[in-house]
Amino acid sequence: MKKYWHIITNEIQRQFTYRASIAAYAFGNIAELVALTVIWTIVYRGIDSINGYSSQEMISYVVFAWFFSFLTTTYAFERNVARDIHLGTLSNLLVKPQSYIRYVMALATGRITIAFLIVLVQGAIVFSFFRNTLIFSLDWKTIILLVLMLIATYFINLFLSVLIGFIAFWTTEINGTYYSLKVFSRFMSGTFFPISLLPVFFVKASFFLPFVYTIYIPVQLYLGKISFAEGLKGLMMEMLWLVGLYAIIKIVWKAGLKKYESVGI
Amino acid sequence: MVIQVKNLSKTYEYHKKRPGLWASLKGLFHREKLFKEAVKEINFSVEEGELVGFLGPNGAGKTTTLKILSGILHPSSGEAKVLGHIPWKREPEYQKQFALVMGQKNQLWWDLPAMESFILNKEIYEVPDAEFTENLDELVALLDINDILDVQVRKLSLGQRMKCELAAALLHKPKVLFLDEPTIGLDVVAQKNIRDFIKSYNQKNKTTILLTSHYMEDVKELCQRVIIIEEGEIGYDGDLAKLIEKYAPYKVLKITFEGEGIKEEDVKNFGEIYKFKPNSVTLRVPREKARDVARDILSSDLPVDDILIDEVEISDVVRKIFSNGNH
Repeated sequence: MKKYWHIITNEIQRQFTYRASIAAYAFGNIAELVALTVIWTIVYRGIDSINGYSSQEMISYVVFAWFFSFLTTTYAFERNVARDIHLGTLSNLLVKPQSYIRYVMALATGRITIAFLIVLVQGAIVFSFFRNTLIFSLDWKTIILLVLMLIATYFINLFLSVLIGFIAFWTTEINGTYYSLKVFSRFMSGTFFPISLLPVFFVKASFFLPFVYTIYIPVQLYLGKISFAEGLKGLMMEMLWLVGLYAIIKIVWKAGLKKYESVGI
Repeated sequence: MVIQVKNLSKTYEYHKKRPGLWASLKGLFHREKLFKEAVKEINFSVEEGELVGFLGPNGAGKTTTLKILSGILHPSSGEAKVLGHIPWKREPEYQKQFALVMGQKNQLWWDLPAMESFILNKEIYEVPDAEFTENLDELVALLDINDILDVQVRKLSLGQRMKCELAAALLHKPKVLFLDEPTIGLDVVAQKNIRDFIKSYNQKNKTTILLTSHYMEDVKELCQRVIIIEEGEIGYDGDLAKLIEKYAPYKVLKITFEGEGIKEEDVKNFGEIYKFKPNSVTLRVPREKARDVARDILSSDLPVDDILIDEVEISDVVRKIFSNGNH
């Protein structure tokens, strides 16, 4: 396991050489939050509640959904996977006694570490800015459950990134798929607004996909709109999705490798 | 027998796309499949400690063969065994015993000093601490890279980077080393450095090395045995010196003349004129007649200053093989 730990630390070191890029990401994160809070503040003028959300709850929802989503993003890791395949870097990795899937997991985790810390700092600044509006009512039990849920969310995102990256085995370009899925998943996970604002059909359908468990359910738990037991159920669903996605990754990887071995790319 | 290859073939599938927008649209629904036989039923074997050169023009199948032997590619048919393992099973026990260095692709972490990649490889190949230090010291001394270990790889020159690539590949003391164009793009001095290193490393550690290169110098300096591969087939497998005898039935006479020199007519009867200047002439003469012709020239009344009998340049031989088609 030591080798994968070294991959994480090497990647963190590498990230330090791209300080400017990290700062640029951080600026984008904030811009998105500003847009969302401005919209909702305007919408709530003269209205007390929308679908059971008070103005205070809605701002809290948006701020925390934003925070959770940037804590758990993989920052377009699918492109790294696709690049390995297209440029043939994969060959160098395949001849070594290591598992590529574990290698990318380690690499992705090292890659997000610094950005993750920056989001934490950003979050602290944002919370203090909204301190009069945000709802803070958390006990330790809920905090631990939330942390576990967010770790699971990160891995769901990572598994999806790896899967989309694997499309590169069959096509020379993955950006279209990556972009569409990104928008779709952020929409369906409730990153921009509570999923319950959508027509019932959508809400029901969304529970058959992994996204709703990644952001919407954790924020609901935080807001106290669902019980601890329901939160626990959400975590269980995330676990099930992780197992399922991992199995799919294994299958797609095998099929992709077969193609790679026969074509050489 | 370290490497054994039997009837190994590899066929690539690819698609044809005619020019134009309409053809692109059609290509969405139907694509014409084409097949290319990169390697055709090749057979060879390599003994422990041998340093074998793979020669051949671009696209001849050299790299494909190396990729199959290192387990990256699956052959279409045939067998191969390296150190008793079937390469494309990619068993860790096999992977720990060989290394692949590709001149065109780097394994070092681009943004970090080479040392970080070395330490990572130590973990990946599970090299014990003491052995790692010993191997590293040896490689650092042999390659003279002590000063650049802590410099970001991206800031190194191509020659320095190649040295570090070799060090990274050899830290786990592989028994078999595949080198794919290790000197590509390097200047003459750097090429020589790499070459000298490969030579002394092979002699010292008895590592079995399979090397591909476009540079004749590499092969001439390093390999006793060459395998010439062309259009996927082996054209020649054997001693480099014998290759010259077999494919170059000529020797070269280099004659220098004193004073005013000579005219073309004076020498044209001795052999085929290859290069002509009044003061120096290069003649090609049949191998078995070389000595007689030299004697005849010396005993003629031409103002001979010096005469030299030489082998044809190996690059000329290989070029001849490639352009004639050797099968």
